Amino acid sequence: MIYYCCEKDWESVLTCIYEAWTQKRGQANIQLIFEPVVQYTLFDEYIHVKADTALAEKVVDAVNRKLSPQFYYEIAHVGMYEAPDVADVLFRVLLLGFAYGPYVLEMVQYKDIMRFREMRCSIGNEISHFREFTRFHEVNHRYVAIIEPRSRIIPALAEVFLDRMPSESWMIADLTNRMAVVHPKDGFYQFVDLTAEEMERLMEIEKNNDRMEVLWKIFFETTAIQERKNERCQKNLYPIWTRKHAVEFMEMRTEKQTCCENENVL
Amino acid sequence: MFCIFEKRLEKANKCSYNKNNKSRTNIRMVIEMGQSVPAVTLEKSIEEKLKILSDAAKYDVACTSSGSDRRGQKGMLGNSVAAGVCHAFAADGRCISLLKILMSNHCVYDCKYCINRKSNDIARATFTPQEICELTVEFYRRNYIEGLFLSSGVLNNPNETMEKMCQTLRLLRTVYHFNGYIHVKAIPGASAELLYSAGLLADRISLNMELPTQASLGKLCPNKHMNQIIRPMNCISETIAVNRIAHGKTARLDRAGINRHLENSIFGETSRRIEANAAQSLQTMRFQYPAERMDALLHRDFAPAGQSTQMIIGATEETDFELIRTSQQLYQSFDLKRVFYSGYIPINDDTALPEIGTPVPLLREHRLYQADWLMRFYGFHANELLSEEQPFFDRHIDPKCEWALRHLGDFPVEINRASYDQLLRVPGIGPTGVKKIMSARRYGSVNFDMLKKMHIALKRAQYFITCNGKMLYPIPISQNFIRNQLTDLDRVEIAKIEGNTVTYQQMNLFRDFHMEGQA
Repeated sequence: MIYYCCEKDWESVLTCIYEAWTQKRGQANIQLIFEPVVQYTLFDEYIHVKADTALAEKVVDAVNRKLSPQFYYEIAHVGMYEAPDVADVLFRVLLLGFAYGPYVLEMVQYKDIMRFREMRCSIGNEISHFREFTRFHEVNHRYVAIIEPRSRIIPALAEVFLDRMPSESWMIADLTNRMAVVHPKDGFYQFVDLTAEEMERLMEIEKNNDRMEVLWKIFFETTAIQERKNERCQKNLYPIWTRKHAVEFMEMRTEKQTCCENENVL
Repeated sequence: MFCIFEKRLEKANKCSYNKNNKSRTNIRMVIEMGQSVPAVTLEKSIEEKLKILSDAAKYDVACTSSGSDRRGQKGMLGNSVAAGVCHAFAADGRCISLLKILMSNHCVYDCKYCINRKSNDIARATFTPQEICELTVEFYRRNYIEGLFLSSGVLNNPNETMEKMCQTLRLLRTVYHFNGYIHVKAIPGASAELLYSAGLLADRISLNMELPTQASLGKLCPNKHMNQIIRPMNCISETIAVNRIAHGKTARLDRAGINRHLENSIFGETSRRIEANAAQSLQTMRFQYPAERMDALLHRDFAPAGQSTQMIIGATEETDFELIRTSQQLYQSFDLKRVFYSGYIPINDDTALPEIGTPVPLLREHRLYQADWLMRFYGFHANELLSEEQPFFDRHIDPKCEWALRHLGDFPVEINRASYDQLLRVPGIGPTGVKKIMSARRYGSVNFDMLKKMHIALKRAQYFITCNGKMLYPIPISQNFIRNQLTDLDRVEIAKIEGNTVTYQQMNLFRDFHMEGQA
């Protein structure tokens, strides 16, 4: 078996697909995996593939031209998903796509297509969760949100919030993948990588709650009907892992309280 | 002396009108005490108001932000997504999509089931339009909500209340440039012109029916009459149709795509009638054209997300059959987008109502929603699901399984050959599943493994389908056998809905093995 190894970013995945395709070593003999490789095997060949913008663009161009922009949209979404077999499934789906055309995604008789659809469904759900549960904090008329998703969903979220708040300055920081999207008022967003120091500074924002956050917590608690209380249903629809940065489940601390506590400590 | 008193009274009334947040009791109290009017000292904080008015609004069920698709614009705040977005789920598991508040919980009506009825001794408050706008916009920017749900108790009279609500929405749309979703409640008895204004400013307009018959309404709402509800509902429905035609759309609202494949769906028969009504209304121009119509800032469709209503269940003695038949009529006659069902929560001590402490009919509410979905997405009619002889749904199995068990002759259906209509009637298969099956069938035959991976609920469907002529297991097509199997499946679900964690029961030889006749 020949293993093509690449990083998890989209450019590396596309470059890896390009290399695996052009080297023509026989699709049954190759597999695409992500680095770091935990355990190497003795008799297999491992090929490291480095991201190359020009090669990645060739794949993007081929998919858009020979298949369809909608097909590219679908594979780009699955590319964000966090699973060890993403690159390999994408490679095999593209092989099938180039052989049968863009409607191949409906051919669930192929196990790779079925796996692709499962991953597409999961990433769609995760994007929906964070579209719903991302909470912004106001800092000098700018809005900052911190999230910890499982997958690299920041590009999809950026599109969502660009449409929702085009005339606000906002930023969403992804602590899992150490990246952020920054949107200036009436402008277009851009992605930045976060340093450890920046991440720590961002975490400070959540420590104080302003008046609107207190009001939201009041609303969240009052609007529930006690006679219909159903925590199991709430957990099912609002999974606990997505609540990490949700204001409504935090203990409210105003700036004044934090200052008083700090003075006491000093 | 009298003159001074008159002046004070005038000042107090003026203050009350301007601030909109002071009850008449407070004014009277101030005057009786002979003091100057301390409007500021009696003012409730926004926290208190939010607590009172969100608490008062929580019994309203509708909190959806669906039905309206609108992209964001530079210089505006917000957009609207057709599928709707839930931003949180409260401790009762209900979705929080909109900032659901009352403008005021002062009310001149005395509906027996309502927490805000005038005879109840509760804390009262009224939001100012600015407060509502600030809350909506700030919550929206923080991604807490998808928009505003604005309802209100009846302040003095329906027109005054509706006018203040419209004033708030106008401020939100024009001054705060809010482009998100707004759901506004129409106050029964408000004038057609005000309803038209509200519809142009909001995405969805709704009017609560609360009780499906005049008899129940007369019993519990002495100040309301069915005509006060039906007439504006009809007016809104026709205005939506006329507005849609004027914008080059069909008179009827867009329904789920699956209805296109269903010949006998409830939305199939009445479209011509609604189109004819709309055409007639266009000719007679029965509608008022308020200032909003000419305002370039508000060049909007009239209630693009349609209208909805809500019915209380368990407070009066209507049967499930009456309720779903009423819903079907509402969908067909007024082209309502949704009918919501609200299990009655005993909050008022009244002889005409279930006593306080009576459990909320959650399972009944769940079954009614299931039936409602069957009518809107699966092509069922109310009289297929229930009848005069069997007016209530089975507690133990869902309405679709119940229907399938009564029509075992139509099953099993062959997955690889059945039509949309047939597949949709199989328990465990929904519109999404049908679409997946149909698209997969174009490229080869479908088997049980594929169905499992398509997330078809085989635990229900297995009794009613074959793949390439074979059932999943050799299953006897017997009503008793399948009913027992399905009841066993649903027991856990029912326990979840009713909040009862104990799902086991003592096995009974006669009941479980049907040996009653032999004993």
